[in-house]
Amino acid sequence: MNPDETARQALIALIPRLRRFARVLTGSIADADDVAQASLEKAMVNLDQYQPGTRLDAWVFRIARNHWVDDRRRAHNRMGHDDIGEMLDLAGEDGVTVVEASAEARMVRAAVDSLPPEQRDVVALVMLEELSYREAADMLGLPIGTVMSRLSRAKAALAKRMTAEGAVQ
Amino acid sequence: MSASFTDAQLAAFMDGSLADEALIDAIEAAINADAALAQRAEALAAGDDFAPLVRDAFAPLLDAPVPERLTAAIAPREADVIDLAAARAAKAPVLPVPANDTGRSNWRWPQFGAMAASLVLGVMIGGPLLKGGSGGPQADGLVLASADLTAMLDSAPSGQRTDLAALGEGEVVLTFRNADGQLCRQFMIDGAGGATSDALACAGANGDGWQIEAYGRRAAPAGEMKLAGGDAAPAVVAAVDAMIDSDPLIGADELAELGKK
Repeated sequence: MNPDETARQALIALIPRLRRFARVLTGSIADADDVAQASLEKAMVNLDQYQPGTRLDAWVFRIARNHWVDDRRRAHNRMGHDDIGEMLDLAGEDGVTVVEASAEARMVRAAVDSLPPEQRDVVALVMLEELSYREAADMLGLPIGTVMSRLSRAKAALAKRMTAEGAVQ
Repeated sequence: MSASFTDAQLAAFMDGSLADEALIDAIEAAINADAALAQRAEALAAGDDFAPLVRDAFAPLLDAPVPERLTAAIAPREADVIDLAAARAAKAPVLPVPANDTGRSNWRWPQFGAMAASLVLGVMIGGPLLKGGSGGPQADGLVLASADLTAMLDSAPSGQRTDLAALGEGEVVLTFRNADGQLCRQFMIDGAGGATSDALACAGANGDGWQIEAYGRRAAPAGEMKLAGGDAAPAVVAAVDAMIDSDPLIGADELAELGKK
């Protein structure tokens, strides 16, 4: 396999996580898929700028986030937040209807969606993608203490909302 | 400075249980100024209660089917042209190959795109669709030579299915003017063999027919009928995006513009 094909296979494997990342950033699966598609296209075109040996996932997530930030500046008529439950219910063409059974999961997603964008960034990178604080700080171009404080405030907001809804004691 | 925060304060900062906003700001500023304090705070971070909940909540996305447009976004660039080989194998007679063909793997849009399109169109749909362009790989030289297709582009409104006889069925998806004022139409052909193709053609400057600007075959499953242009081949969508310079023309406006193309 040539290097481009290897990278392409790695990108294909990355798509589900890229969708999840974009969904957390955008709050909408439609916007998330737009962001994912644009960042995959940019990644393919700019593959020569990827440094072999560094994390491909982090490189693509950075492209995705930059695209979303630019897009958000350009257009204010983005989709409202939606839940992924409807999308999953639609995904039953192959006979496997995924039923969104967990009310708690829906509530947690709503809690994450209610966070301000700068907190969703760190939730997506540190909580979901399990980047270190340092890696997240580098990707976001922020000092590490600021990443920590944003995550601290995100956790406090999640705790408040989840306690109110009875998900955690 | 770092000594001015207790372990309990730093641990509370890390787990989100610190309520004092001014103290959060002070710790953030201190950590930003002191790498050792950052390390101390990280070491004091207990397990994250929320991460497993959040991961579970978004986990269904990881198992969900991936939309085709996302895999199509990273399809190999040569996908449009590779069809040629399959078509050629399946169907005689063999096509003429350009004298300067040094290997298909080197072909790229847009230089060779139009030429490849002519070959693929010709083979896929089974007839001499295009004429001219014998001099080389200029997009300019490629003119539609199918009377049925030309008639559809000349007069059919967007959204109307048109019988293209042996070619299958066609439908214009979008009509617009480009920056040069030329009328352009994106259309699709549901080939008799079940394959769906997309193309973009613009009216020639001197009333000399429709020139193919882009062409692509859909990745969609054969036989799946789609009336909207949303799933069109990426090469065609990209060409439309690059060229469109007016609102889409529809209804009476479209017919009027067609009349004075």
